[in-house]
Amino acid sequence: MYKIILENIAHSYGDKQVLSDFSFSFEQGKTTYLVGPSGCGKTTVLRLISGLETPSQGIIKIDGKIVSAEGKTSVAPHQRQTGFVFQDLALWPHFTVFNNIAFGLKERKASAIKEKVSEILKLFGIADKAKKYPHQLSGGQKQMVAIARSLVLEPDILLMDEPLANIDIKLKESILQHLKILQQQLNFTMIYVTHEHSESMNVENCIVVMNAGKIEASGSKEEIARSENSFVKSFINF
Amino acid sequence: MAAKIGKYISQFTLVLLLFVLVILPLLLLIIQWLTGADKAVLLSFISRETLLLVSKSLLLSSVAAFLATVIGTVCALLLYKFRLLFSGFFKAALLLPLFVSPYIFAVAWKDGFYWVFGNTAAFYSVAGVILVHTLVFFPLTMLITGSALSRVHAGYEEAGFMIVSFRKMLFKILLPLIRPALTISFLLVLIFSLSDFSVPAFFGVNTFTIEVFTQFSAFYNYQLAIGQSVLLLVLCLFLMLAEIRYLSDAPFFSVDIRGSVSKRYDVEKQLIFHAVLSVILFIALLLPVFMLVIQSLSGRMLFFEQAWELIGPAAFQSVKVAFTGALLVTATGLWAAWMQERRQFRLPGLLLLFSFIVPSTVLGIAFIRHFNTPSLNFIYGSVLILLITYLARFGFIASRIIGNGIKQVPASFEDAARIMGISPATRFYRITLPLLFPALFTTFVLSFVLCLGELGTAIMVYPPGTELMPVKIFTISANAPQALTSSMTLINFAVVLVFILVFLFIGKIIFKKFQYV
Repeated sequence: MYKIILENIAHSYGDKQVLSDFSFSFEQGKTTYLVGPSGCGKTTVLRLISGLETPSQGIIKIDGKIVSAEGKTSVAPHQRQTGFVFQDLALWPHFTVFNNIAFGLKERKASAIKEKVSEILKLFGIADKAKKYPHQLSGGQKQMVAIARSLVLEPDILLMDEPLANIDIKLKESILQHLKILQQQLNFTMIYVTHEHSESMNVENCIVVMNAGKIEASGSKEEIARSENSFVKSFINF
Repeated sequence: MAAKIGKYISQFTLVLLLFVLVILPLLLLIIQWLTGADKAVLLSFISRETLLLVSKSLLLSSVAAFLATVIGTVCALLLYKFRLLFSGFFKAALLLPLFVSPYIFAVAWKDGFYWVFGNTAAFYSVAGVILVHTLVFFPLTMLITGSALSRVHAGYEEAGFMIVSFRKMLFKILLPLIRPALTISFLLVLIFSLSDFSVPAFFGVNTFTIEVFTQFSAFYNYQLAIGQSVLLLVLCLFLMLAEIRYLSDAPFFSVDIRGSVSKRYDVEKQLIFHAVLSVILFIALLLPVFMLVIQSLSGRMLFFEQAWELIGPAAFQSVKVAFTGALLVTATGLWAAWMQERRQFRLPGLLLLFSFIVPSTVLGIAFIRHFNTPSLNFIYGSVLILLITYLARFGFIASRIIGNGIKQVPASFEDAARIMGISPATRFYRITLPLLFPALFTTFVLSFVLCLGELGTAIMVYPPGTELMPVKIFTISANAPQALTSSMTLINFAVVLVFILVFLFIGKIIFKKFQYV
């Protein structure tokens, strides 16, 4: 079953075409890795799915419903049930960890908000950091807060834009493991953008290799490794 | 859809309002000139004398801009690239001249010459104007270059050190890297100096800005004054075309440099550095203030009481109008900056740039010609005309300082809230506004001080019943004893200083509260 379907998507920023004829279906409850060199359009795919951008051409469906089509958005970002972990994490520097996570829970009672935030802080092992500000946290703790914030609204889709790009390999593996367990518990669909192909080749999920706004290859780790596409070959051997 | 249309309509209305209030008077001035006389009269103002005067004004302002940029850069290098004791004190103290009206320094230096040499003839010259403009405007260049130096990544300098000496690294790497900041500093001082009316008028130096004012206000030769204004306007337009590349995206200075990784050097012999900074501080601030005090006390009687009686009411009114003006300038600057940085809509910023470049007296003439009509008398006859003047003169600076602040707030901060379903208004008030607060506060303080000291346009358009401190001092000083002028100037300086100290105190609390990194 497909959670998200992108059909013939084209998108440009001004004169610069970043995606052209991009079609792909993301499976429900699975993780898909979008890999490719910098500037190939990976982040744009996430922004289009989240609704932060509207595609110039093409259709985006979530749960079978059209959310964007031919330059028009029919479902606003916050109605798409998505969580987004930004590359720069985008933790609001003037809010404490607690308030960063609680900010989206606006329609609940204060006691319910407190309970929900405490629960997710515990889940991520950062309960003791609730009153800290982002600049008082380590890199790994910040990543945890950003992921916790994106999951607190219990989204169906988690979009991750290279959030683990600048941390050491051990911490990265630990966070990814944590995410895997959470995904099994919460059953969300995850799309993970990275420019390091080695990161995606270590997992048994769907991999999409992108270049210059197009898909060069997609499939499992083995299928990508067997690809005859010259770009894919050079990219994974790099 | 309806919300989108509503947003466009409100944006269009604001742009239209800005255009009608600020730009239209300038355009009408050109149209009036083109349609007001036959061609021979139209071009009669282009004489050899006029061209010489324009050249003289440009040369005078260029020299002041060059000297201010050099002194400001030296101070910035010493204060922002070296770990010096008391650097905080020097940074704050050296900024003070920027917050004081140029004519206060003009009076002070004149006093000094009178006190030392017994006459001021030597000071009534181009050199006097250059000296005062240099000393008043160098803190601006220090602020801009200092901010740029703080943003240069340490890696660039360290990579340079691996292969060349410090001196070579400074001239071949560091200074070229901050070239945009140096260019902006030069251009800004050039514009301020060209536009300044008070200092050349006080020293009796005829610049083109003064000439326009004289023809208009003293000889009532409107046609010639308008013709000269148009010439100056055309010159400014050329200047603007050349500068648009730099100024419309000018980094100006950052109020809060987030995550700065610039390199700072330890100094063993701090004495030399302190000596250089102390000499600059002495000449730029302490000496003029000292001279004002001496001159105020040198008369046969103390003039302070009389001075206060004369400018006291004007001081209260000036503060009220400047406060309102600063609020308007800051709010407009925020809107224009937001449009440019977040909506990629540059028109409001360009309109403010245009009005900023236009010399003060030309702006005054344009406003008089446009607003001095029965139907628009509710503007011309009230403080509204002063508020529009402040907006035209300082809106651009506000928009650029705030724009730089907006640039430092990543768009992802708002995107993250948008995905959570937070409304645009809440996003703005809860996320963006608190992060911009230091930039907004700095803009407000700077605008307040600039509004408080504005003379060039205010002297031409101030409405009846409104008394402004700079205008009052300037008009009284023509026929008053030197000691009375100095006493009034000293009171003016004290008023500015009190507000600066109050703002510094508030600023300290605000910056501490909003310091997140």
